[in-house]
Amino acid sequence: MNFIKKISIIILTTLLVFTLVNGAAFAQEKIIKIGTLFPLTGSCALAGSRCKAAVETAVEVINNSHPECDVPLAAQEGLLGGYKIVLVHADHQGKPDIAKAEAERLFDQEGVYTIVGCYNSACTNPASMVAERQEKIFMCGCSSSAALTERGLQYFFRMAPTDKTESIEFCDVIEWMNGTKGANLKTIGIIYENTEFGKHAADEGKLAAAEAGFEVVVDVPFSPGATNMNSEVQTLKAKNPDVVFGACLGGDYTLWVRTMKQMDWLPKMCLNYCTGYQDPVITEQLGDDANYFMGGTGYAPEFAELMPAVAAVEKIYQEKIGVPFDSDSIQEAVATFILAQAIEKAGTLNYDTVRDTLYANEWNSPLSMGGKVAFVSGGQNAKAMSMITQLQGGEYKRVFPTELSTDEVIFPMIPWSKR
Amino acid sequence: MIKENTKKQDLLWYVLIVVLLLVPFIPQVAANSFTQHVFILILLYASMSQAWNIIGGYCGQVSFGHSVFFGIGAYGAGMAVVKFGITPWPGIIIGSLLAMVVAVLISYPCFKLKGHYFAIATFAIVEIFNRLFMVWYWVNGALGLDYPMVKTGWTNFVWYRTKIPYYYGALILFTTIFSIVRFIERNRFGYYLRAVREDQETAEATGINSTFIKLSAMALSAFLASFCGAFFVQYNFRVDPPMVMSLQVSMVFVLVTILGGAGTLFGPLLGALILIPLQEYTRVLWGGLGRGTDLMLFGFLIVLIMVRQPKGIMGLINEYLNYRKTRKIISAQPEINS
Amino acid sequence: MTMFFQVAIDGLLTGMVYALVASGLSLIWGVMDVLNFAHGEFLMLGMYVSYWLGFLINFDPLISWIASGVFCFLLGILTYKLIIHHCLLGPPLSALLATFGLSMILKNFALNRFSPNYRLLTGTLLDGKRTLIGNIVLPMPQLITSIFALVVVFIIYYVIKRTRLGWAIQATAMDKEAAELMGINTERIFLLVFGLGGLCVGVAGGLLPSYLAVHPEVGGLFGLIAFVCVAMGGFGSIPGALLAALLIGLVEALGGFYIAPVFKYVVVFGLYLLVVMLKPKGLFGW
Repeated sequence: MNFIKKISIIILTTLLVFTLVNGAAFAQEKIIKIGTLFPLTGSCALAGSRCKAAVETAVEVINNSHPECDVPLAAQEGLLGGYKIVLVHADHQGKPDIAKAEAERLFDQEGVYTIVGCYNSACTNPASMVAERQEKIFMCGCSSSAALTERGLQYFFRMAPTDKTESIEFCDVIEWMNGTKGANLKTIGIIYENTEFGKHAADEGKLAAAEAGFEVVVDVPFSPGATNMNSEVQTLKAKNPDVVFGACLGGDYTLWVRTMKQMDWLPKMCLNYCTGYQDPVITEQLGDDANYFMGGTGYAPEFAELMPAVAAVEKIYQEKIGVPFDSDSIQEAVATFILAQAIEKAGTLNYDTVRDTLYANEWNSPLSMGGKVAFVSGGQNAKAMSMITQLQGGEYKRVFPTELSTDEVIFPMIPWSKR
Repeated sequence: MIKENTKKQDLLWYVLIVVLLLVPFIPQVAANSFTQHVFILILLYASMSQAWNIIGGYCGQVSFGHSVFFGIGAYGAGMAVVKFGITPWPGIIIGSLLAMVVAVLISYPCFKLKGHYFAIATFAIVEIFNRLFMVWYWVNGALGLDYPMVKTGWTNFVWYRTKIPYYYGALILFTTIFSIVRFIERNRFGYYLRAVREDQETAEATGINSTFIKLSAMALSAFLASFCGAFFVQYNFRVDPPMVMSLQVSMVFVLVTILGGAGTLFGPLLGALILIPLQEYTRVLWGGLGRGTDLMLFGFLIVLIMVRQPKGIMGLINEYLNYRKTRKIISAQPEINS
Repeated sequence: MTMFFQVAIDGLLTGMVYALVASGLSLIWGVMDVLNFAHGEFLMLGMYVSYWLGFLINFDPLISWIASGVFCFLLGILTYKLIIHHCLLGPPLSALLATFGLSMILKNFALNRFSPNYRLLTGTLLDGKRTLIGNIVLPMPQLITSIFALVVVFIIYYVIKRTRLGWAIQATAMDKEAAELMGINTERIFLLVFGLGGLCVGVAGGLLPSYLAVHPEVGGLFGLIAFVCVAMGGFGSIPGALLAALLIGLVEALGGFYIAPVFKYVVVFGLYLLVVMLKPKGLFGW
């Protein structure tokens, strides 16, 4: 009996507390609230927690004086003469409906100024629509679906290169290999997880391949979280394409590489989208098996000389989460920095002014490859670029474009039996 | 005695509807879009579970397949708006009818199966539908359908700046479905359903065509579930297979009903009333910590309720009422010992 | 033709693992009529035990499966004592709801404690080793795991069919009241069955990290397939579960290869529907 009373009292009080707390306004100080919305639980939790830590790192640098970091706003404390950023974290669990609900809550109840998120393109879409309808700014770091910036939204900004740019770059690499190394690569196979992310990447990959005149001979979607990838790899092996485009996240990437090893098959060249390929932890665990794969990379610790300012920031980040930045998470930090810079430059928190400022200027962004960020209509960062890297001896070596490359491509991939 | 009980229940029911009608006028709710969101979800989930309750609770056929019907309704509305650029209503109607047809087609062979075999078969059907929709080009496969900006109002059943119309939409859905079930519960059909649940052979011996009863219950249930699906997609402006057509969604139907009390009229409402605020507010409180604390607590509370009273919240309430009754009797008796 | 045999063998090897996961579930389900939704999460925790033993003190999965098995045995007993025992009094579905809650707790506990990182054991004894039969490649980790699976399934089957304990379990499964009248402590039997179910899945979990990355979500699909195996084989029938698991592994691989990989689970679930349409009680059901 007591039990029922206890339960009902607990539920009633929590409900009451929340209605009250939600309604109450935050004590007015010189703060700017920013919401983060990432998948902190569910199958993308790993990437989400890294992205969240990246935003925290950026805010740490902006709010406090960090003279050791050579990035904008690091030396001073706060913004607009003393405004501090306060973060409100939310979790969308990888579900679009929760992303929408949480975005609404962050804006309406928490009263955040803007949201940084959401990693999954499928979640970024509804969440950014919420912002657009309220005419508030939405900063997107690393969602890669090209469609996001083709919607003509006014208040949406995205830092990372899209899978479209990556696909075109992949084809450029193949052409370059054919031209300079006589590689004679003709056929392409695509393996991707059958989700919004994978499907988009694969569609863009097919388009780019068709444009460049390569033949896509095999197209293998698979269900993420698979127990085995035998038939996927067997299908690839049977068609034996020269080049494989891969869009496999996390655990599936490991499984895929391992299965290829068991089947003793490799394409001549393997190019990966923003996926498990970039995760330094996975690379370390796969050890030698991870080598000679290639992929688009926005950032890797080996890029230190190219992006010298990252190291100091990365130190703060590593204290939080224990791994160095990867291409995805660093874009979320960039998003935070760019927003802060825009607010500082606009000198106001008015959404339209900040938006116009964001569009009007080319931003100095030491955390981005190329060091610059500038937005074109639709909110895409036109300066976004990634390099093609190849894993050699467990390190991400830059191989393309040639003017920034440090190492030669090892081509074709060394077969498993000779490793 | 029975008459009196029904009257009492009727009164409770009308009072409930009036209270729900007035909810948006509570200043706390009117000012807070998240509270509105929670209320909308409660009504929606209660409606979904009530639809499931017809076949799962009253008729005793545990179906994990309802997300298929939910999804077909959702895709009906989504396709109408996104692909054909018209109002969702024709899509909703076609989707619901289609859901009914699909329900009959897939249930007819499955009703040969008993108990868990049936449950797992519906499991399998959800997975099959999920994978097929994931690669079905015409409905955009894994990419899903995203709503364009359309004119707000009842014709499109879309509102951007306010949630109050959604609340009333959900309330209409809720009232309709609950009224239907209330009607069925006291109707001949309802007794047939329960007869089939208790003992199919005996029911058939008394002349009930159990297959027909089960099929019509399933068809009705699917029809109503697909309406809920359409509402869900109109509310979220997006539909993709994992959102509407997956085991996780199917579990919601079952969870809410069992938690509240399967085969009872108010069970689904009670289940939703407990489960949804729990789910939403634990996420608000601890979700941002990013360590799954909210979901752990959520799971823990489900386990706790089930361990304490396996019959669900309805069971807890009955237990409480019985306790009060016995206490009254005890206190009414003169003290003997002293 | 080599391709066909290669794909088929891969499928059978996967099927063996499914069999081990499913046999534990089959026991629980057959004896107690409880759908254990947390079964996949048991597997996940078993994998974590093996992973941490390997990572921290360099135990090979070939040894640490014992620890995983014991761990999951205890986990099963605990689950029964604390949760299932109370739910058995209520309607049949309440145990399902409770185990669903449990699966949420376990999954997020793993997320909370071990972070969502994908963890893979490297440098194990079997890592990357292969044998060849003709042109057909047999990866050692999978092969050894399959052999283990087969042995464990046979031991369980033997225990059920040939020992006094097994007879008691069978009696309890057939008629609980009658078994009690015969002097069988059904409570103890239930406890033991839940433990044994955990043991099976724990052994499977202990062996898997040698070729499968561990993360909090890893159990989901295994659990689902185990459900299908058990239902397809017929509840409570361990040979049925074994046969069904092998069939599912085979069909998954062949269907994935000859139709399209994206349809492989469609084929698996379709096969289940087909089987129960023909035999409504599963392959070996009574």
